This record gives sequence, structure tokens and C-alpha cells, in this order.
Amino acid sequence: MIGFISYAVFFSTVASILAIAVLGLNLQWGFTGLFNGGVVAFFGAGAYGTLILGGTPQADHLGGFGLIYPLALAGGAAVAGLLAWVVGILTLRLRQDYLAIATFGIAVTFENVMRNAEALSGGAKGFRGFERPLRDLFGDGFGYNLAFFCFVLALLVGVFLFLERLVRSPFGRLLRAIREDEDAARSLGKSPARVRLVSFVTGSVIIGLAGGLYATFYAFISPQDVLPTLTFQIWAMLIVGGAGNNRGAVFGAFLIWGGWTSSGWALSRFAPVEAQLYTGSIQYILIGSIIVTMLLWRPQGLLPERLVISQAGQPRKPRTTGSMT
Amino acid sequence: MTALNIKRGGRIALAVALATTALTGAAAAQDCTTKIGAVLPTSVDWGKPIAETAQFVVDQVNEAGGVQGCKIEMVLRDTQVDPKVGVDAAKALVDLDGVQVLLGAVSSGVSMPILTSVTVPAGVAQFSCCSSSGAFTTLAEEGKTKGLWFRTFATSNVQALVGAKVAKDQGYKSVAVLYKNDDWGQDIGKLVAQHLEAQGITVTATVAINDAQPSYRAEVTDAIAGQPEAIYLALYPTEGISVVREWLSLGGSQNMILANSLKSDEFRDAVGLQYLGSAHGTDTSSPRVESADAFVARYKERFGSEPNGPGLSNSYDATMIALLAMEAAGKDAKGSEVAAAVARVTDPAGTPVTADAAGFTAARDVLAGGGTVLYQGATGNVRFDENGDVSAPAVIWSFTESGTQEDSYISLEEVDALAGAGN
Amino acid sequence: MIQNLADGILVGSVLSLGAIGLTLVMHMLRFANFSHAELLSIGAYAALVFDAVFAAILPPLAAKIGPLSMTWALALALLAAIAITGASALLIDRLVFRRVRSKGSELSMVFASFGVAMIVRNVTGLLFGLGTQLYSRDIVFAVVVSRDPLLLIKPDQVFVLAAALLVMVALHLVLTRTTLGFALRAVAENPTLAQVNGVNLGRMIALVWVLGGGLAAIAGVFYGLTNQISPMIGRDLVLPVFAATIVGGIGSVYGAVLGGFIVGVAANVALAVLPSGYSPSVPFLIILAVLLVRPNGLFGEARA
Repeated sequence: MIGFISYAVFFSTVASILAIAVLGLNLQWGFTGLFNGGVVAFFGAGAYGTLILGGTPQADHLGGFGLIYPLALAGGAAVAGLLAWVVGILTLRLRQDYLAIATFGIAVTFENVMRNAEALSGGAKGFRGFERPLRDLFGDGFGYNLAFFCFVLALLVGVFLFLERLVRSPFGRLLRAIREDEDAARSLGKSPARVRLVSFVTGSVIIGLAGGLYATFYAFISPQDVLPTLTFQIWAMLIVGGAGNNRGAVFGAFLIWGGWTSSGWALSRFAPVEAQLYTGSIQYILIGSIIVTMLLWRPQGLLPERLVISQAGQPRKPRTTGSMT
Repeated sequence: MTALNIKRGGRIALAVALATTALTGAAAAQDCTTKIGAVLPTSVDWGKPIAETAQFVVDQVNEAGGVQGCKIEMVLRDTQVDPKVGVDAAKALVDLDGVQVLLGAVSSGVSMPILTSVTVPAGVAQFSCCSSSGAFTTLAEEGKTKGLWFRTFATSNVQALVGAKVAKDQGYKSVAVLYKNDDWGQDIGKLVAQHLEAQGITVTATVAINDAQPSYRAEVTDAIAGQPEAIYLALYPTEGISVVREWLSLGGSQNMILANSLKSDEFRDAVGLQYLGSAHGTDTSSPRVESADAFVARYKERFGSEPNGPGLSNSYDATMIALLAMEAAGKDAKGSEVAAAVARVTDPAGTPVTADAAGFTAARDVLAGGGTVLYQGATGNVRFDENGDVSAPAVIWSFTESGTQEDSYISLEEVDALAGAGN
Repeated sequence: MIQNLADGILVGSVLSLGAIGLTLVMHMLRFANFSHAELLSIGAYAALVFDAVFAAILPPLAAKIGPLSMTWALALALLAAIAITGASALLIDRLVFRRVRSKGSELSMVFASFGVAMIVRNVTGLLFGLGTQLYSRDIVFAVVVSRDPLLLIKPDQVFVLAAALLVMVALHLVLTRTTLGFALRAVAENPTLAQVNGVNLGRMIALVWVLGGGLAAIAGVFYGLTNQISPMIGRDLVLPVFAATIVGGIGSVYGAVLGGFIVGVAANVALAVLPSGYSPSVPFLIILAVLLVRPNGLFGEARA
């Protein structure tokens, strides 16, 4: 029982961190319609930023600024925001699929730099030399994990409430207006480019915050943490949970991460011994099937966006899909 | 069902039961099970054989009666080479299955977060076959592994030193270094280049080979431009095959120096033995005792091929040492007790035991009498230093029709001498 | 440098073939199909199986064609692979994409394609093992075309380039000279209008899948011939093929052809400048550069 609680806390911590990232993406895609294919770059920028700013001095790579933790975490998120600002200025005017591949490229390049620029990031062996904050107080075991989970949960709730308020504010309505009909928004004297950039940077800061928390939890980050798989995982969480709905985003994060990990657990427990060596591949097939099935069953997500009357007139689907069967 | 059928059914059951008892021998006494965890990348081409080897060890030990009279069950989880997935799997094994011993992971980027956030906080002993990053040594030096971390992967420096020695012995004047662009490859690539230059050999290029690229033509062109007399390859078979085939077809030199990751039948077959005549490999090695062949012999029996492939012997040793240490630590030992018992099974002054079921049985008797043993593993007389690292003697090998042969043996003292000369 | 340029063109031809199929599907069905590269993998493995089958049935077929490492058996197997891959593409559409299309948005399709890619890749791994396979173990040595500047070219690659160009010309003729081609282009331009004019939309979609699958099979076999076959072919090729499609502009067949060559050449030439550790970024830096100048790719049109 103790074991179960300990695992549940651990699982929930990672799921909550991922949920924060999904919320950030939801602001970008769900509310603004920006196809960010490079989630992992901003996640990674936050992670590396936090460790570099808050770590102890290391002989072989940058770091050792030893900032107190809240400043390091905020700094990491700010690094992600800065990256988003530069990327946003360059790419946000692109059409959806082009934007997706351009940002995807940014993420691959980011991973590449982290892998090769040893003096900056420690290279492929990863970035170490970071002490988890308040270890003296909580020790290393379950107590620490519980305390850290509470901290992550508080941030998750904070981000959630912030976004809920934001999307209900006039600015939030403006975001959706631009998503639905850019020309109409422009004709009302709004600047879509600027609004998009603000949304993109804000979302990326949130994703960067998640990255910072993630790196803190493991006290370690390496290029293996910033591979495109993470982008895919976070997107799958949003799409399955329900884009445009913050509750859906959080729900999707827990659901997909739960499915991802429990499929492995179930296979290790129930698959026959002879099949154990193949469970890796089987697990991927299972995960793929779950995602496809979810999309066949509820393509709008489990908790879809609740459209208000003023938006009902505008069909959201691209013009062709309805007639293509 | 008729009476006759019942009778026949009963007879078959009896026969099966008898046969089972005869086959498993001591195993019949096992009525308890001890779980150990394994977190390995089974969905990756080079990861699956590593897991297969670990399972092979567990089977052998069970055949020899298990650990402390209990059958060992290895619960295997895939890491997908994704740190979060690996860490979660490890945490589930520790918390839900209550394992005290964890095997894994392969990549340092996965092993490290498992160590810092799962095994060390929970006091679980972690044995990795293949994580090579120097960061583990630093972490251990800082006392942050609490003595729970072990790896059977000899530091890359041994192989780098021997690689440079091969180049010198063969009289190569210039060498191009191609390395896998991960933590292991970056490390060994840099070391080899250093040692080569220390020997007065020109390094014409050091080229990083990234994973999962559709073509390595450009990298090979880059390496061939300096027209080196030989190439040093620190690659895995998948990229290795692609790179070497390109290299040869562009007229590159057949003088090759290979890291142990290319000691692989797949590599030999796909490149072709006719092109590998002047290829020399390096590896860490078994000690010069007769019984050291036990591992190879048993492996061939089971898999029908030599244990050639990245990390196989390391995985074998990691698993065997973990199980021996569990035996030494006593029934229901905690992870920290198992970790503390590692010294008792890798004691240079202990009774030598071989790397197979017979060796395990022998070790059990010695350990029960309060003695210590020296495990003579597949990668050598494995000896851990205070940071959980191993040092080992080395060999130079080459490919043959049926597998590989050993060309020369370099003892631990000679390796140390090379290291001294290199510095 | 000249060597890098030549290599790039030779590598690029495979990317072009993959990109043509992808650009047609992306344009017509309006979604980024991340499982397209898995069709290359299906093609490569189908040919591997049939190659062995044909060579076993009729041993003389195992003879090599001229200086190439390609055998007659493999040439025949290529035809079988085209059929199988086309059929697989159609089957995947029937099972997954058509159903998602009827209910969901573009993005559902994108993620369904991720799921499909994952399934295909791992089923292939279970069926054929995770290791590397080759059509022929012989190494074909490159021919020295010029000593100074040094230029080496493999016969296989020249054949692949020539065959790829031939396929592209044939496709061009089909698209511009036949009724089928007109119908296809009409649907791609405006599905509703095309339907009004009596084009059967369902048939056209099926045709695009079969065509894309067939081209992917050719690309997959050519890739296997000049490199190697593994279940990860799809993973390794998906990004370069995408890069080629995007650089060329979605919907433009000629753009895709050019895009393939641009990505191939750039990836090869870039290593002459950048450290080799950065090679995976190169295709994306090209994309970024092209999109900054032409936001819809070289030949793409802005879509309403």
C-alpha cells in the first residue's frame, strides 16, 4: 500500500508537469490556432535554463550560477520565452502546416545544439551538478516526492486558473477571433501578428516552466529528454483530452501518460515469459492503437471546447473535410 | 470423460511431474519467488539482445536452484530510450513490485535520472551493463550514489588506449575517427583522438555519426577527404554497416580499428568477411583461465552464435554479479545490503568461480561458509572501485568465418602502463 | 565539394520520389501524413520477401543486371512491392484515415498518422526483426569519374537516379496528358467543383493513395538498394521527405522533385561547412531559409 501511494505520487508529479506543458500548448493551439511542432524546444530551454542558472559550478560545462531556486525556475521559463519570441518573429506568419514543420525543425536543431555544444550543455552525457532545492528539509525519499508534488500541483492549479481567466478576458476573445477569422479581427483594428506573438510567447513560457520542473525533479537533463517523442506525447495529450478546453488538456495529460506507462506495466505483468522480449514493440503498437482508436471514436477530444453562441456561425473544420468521404 | 480417460490423464500428469522434477533437480525445492527489476530498451535493435542475455543469466541461476533457494523472476520493462518512460518503469518496479535490485538502463541519459530519483532515494541496488558516462563517476565521488551504483562497462579509456596501440603496432601514420554521437561515442572518440596523437599518429578527421540518418554518405566523404591510412570506428552495428559499406565502396582503406560494439555477427555478415581482413577490434577481456570460456560455451548452446554484440557480455556480468550479491547478502536482503555484498563476490582474494550455473552453485557453497568469491565474468575479472566502476584487461580480436578470434591479450598491468605512457 | 554535390543529387532522387507521393496526399486530403515514410518501409520489405521468393522459384533470376547490385529477381519484386504498397496505402486509408476524415479535423488526421506510423514500424519490427537487412551483401565499388577534383560515383546510384527521373517523367505525362490526370488535378484544385463536373471523388482519393504508395515503394526499394533496410526506414526518412515536400511547396509535384534534390544536396554540402554532429538540423535550416523567403514553399500556392 505504501508502495502504491509512493508510486502514485511519483506518477502524478510527472503527469502534472506534463499537464502544465499541455496547458501551454493549449493556449497556443487550442485558443490561438498556432501549430507549434517544436514543443520540446521550449520545454528543453526551460529545463536547461533552470539547471544552468540554479546549478553548482561545473568544470566541463556552463553553469554554476547558483541562483536560488525560484529565480532559477523563473529564469528557465524566461529563457523559453526568449527563444519563443525569436522563433515567433521568424515563423508565426507561416501557414499552419508550414509553421508546424518550421518549429519542428527548431526543436531538432535545439536538441542538436544541446548534444554537440559540450561547453554549454554538457553534450550527450547530459547536464548535471544541480541540487534539488530544500533537500535538507525533506530528505531524499517519499517525503521529498510528496512535498515536490504539492509544489507542482500548486503551480498546475495556478497556471490553470491563470489560463481560465485569460481566455475569458477580452484578450482571450480576441485570440479566438483571430483563430476563427483573421481578416475580420484585422478589420476591427486589431493586430493579429502581435496578438499571436503574445500568445505564442506566453504558451512557451508555461511549457518552459514545465521543463524547469521536470529537470528539477530528476536533477538531471540530457539530449535524450528533448527528442521529438516528447512533442508527440504532449500533442497526443491535448488532442485526446480536447483542444480548446483547459480541463480537457489536464485530463488528457493524465490519461495519455497513464496509458503510456500502464501499458508497459500490464505487459510486464501479464504477457507470457516468451513474449517478454517483444513487449517493447508490442507496447508501441498498443499506444499507437489507443491513439488511433481515440481519434476514430472522439476526434474532438474527450472534453471538447465549449463554443459560445457568438462563435457558432463559423464552421471550424476546413472546408473540404466534410465532403471528402 | 470416461474412467479410462481419467486414468490416462492421471498417468500423463504423473509422467510430466516426474520429468519436470528430473529436469529441474534442485529447482523442485523452490516454493518462493524473488523479483528483480530490469529496465532495458527492448524495442531497440541493440537493446533486445541485452535483455535476452540478462534473462539467460536468470534462467541459469534458476536452473542452479535460484538465489537463497528462491526462484528469481526478472520483471522486464522497456525504456523506449525515453528517460521519463524508463524512470517511471523503474519507479513502478521499486514501489509496486518491491524489487531491491534493478538492472539497467543502457543509455546514461536514462540510467542517471533513475539513479538520482528512484534507486538512491529508495535504497535499491542498481546494476547497469552499459552506461558509460563519466558523470556517474563524478556523482559517486561526491557520495551521491550511496554505494548503490555499479556498472560492468569498463571505462572507455581502456579501449581507447588499446585502439591507439593497435594503430601504432600496425604502423598507421594517419587515422580518421568516426564515433557515434552519443555520450559513449563522444567520450571514446575524444579519448582515441588524444591517444593517437600522443603516439604521434595524425588524426585526419573526427566525424560524429548521428543516429537515425537516412544516409551517411556525406560523413564518409568528409572522413575520406584526408585520405587516412586507417579508420577508427566507435559505432553500433546499424550505423557501422551503413558507414563501412559506403566507406569501402568509395575506395576507403580496409585498415580498420573497431571498438567492441562492432564485435557483431550482423556487422561481419553485412560488410563481408573478405573486406575485414585488416580489421582489428578491441575489447575488454576475460582473464586467462580455462573456466572463462564457460560463458561463451553456454551462450553458444543457448543462442547458436557467439556473444557478439554491443553490451552482451556486460549485461551477462551485471546480471550475474547482481544475483551473486543477492545470494551473498542473505534472504530478503535490502538493496543496500545487496550493494554491500558486491565486494564479497568480486574479491580478488576470493575463490574463483566461473560465469555459469556451475559457478553459481560453487559460489553459493563458499558464500554459505562465510567465504568470499572472485567472479570471473564474461568481461573479465570484474573488480569495482569505490565508485562502482570496473577496470579490466583487454584483448585485440579479429573476425573469422565463425565469429571472432583473439589475437593478443593485454593484461591489466599492461593497460595501466599504456595509460601511464599516454598521459 | 563536387563530390558532395554529386552525392546530394543521387541521394535526393530517393527523397524526391517519396516527396511526390506525400505532396499529392497532403494537397488532396489536406493533412500532414507522418505515416507516409512507412510506405517506403513496407515497399522495401515487400521487395525483400518477393526477391527471395522469385530467386528461389527461378534461380537464373538471381543474376545481377550489368554492373548493378540489382538482380532480375529484385526488379520483378519491385513490381510486386509497388502493388502491395499501393494496396497497403489504400487499406490504411479505408481502416483509419477515411473514418477519421469523416468525423474529425485536419489535426485528428495528423495524429492518426502518427499512430499509424507507430503501429506499422513496430509490426514490421516484430515480423522481420529489428536488425539490418540487405538485398545484396556485395559491395559495389564506386567508379572514379574524375581524379581532380576527385569524383566517385556508384553504378547503383546512377541507375537509381535515372530510374527515378524516368518515373517522374512518366508521372508528368500521366498528369498532363490523360483524362485521369486532369481529373486528379481538378480534384486537388477544388474538390467541390470537380465533383459537380462529374469526377468521382472517392475514386480519385483511392487513386492518389495507390499512386503515392507505388512511388513510395519504388523509393523504398531504391533506398534499400543504395543503403540498407531496417524497420526504422520510416523514422529515418520521414523528416527529409517532409522537408523536400515543404521546400517544394505542398501540392506541387515539380516542387517535390526539386525539393528532394535541394534537401539531398544541402545535407551533403552542409557537412563541408558544419561539424558533422549538426547534420540532422540541416534539412530544417533549409526549410526555414526557404520559408522565410517564400512562405508557401518554392512552388506552393497560398491556400484559402
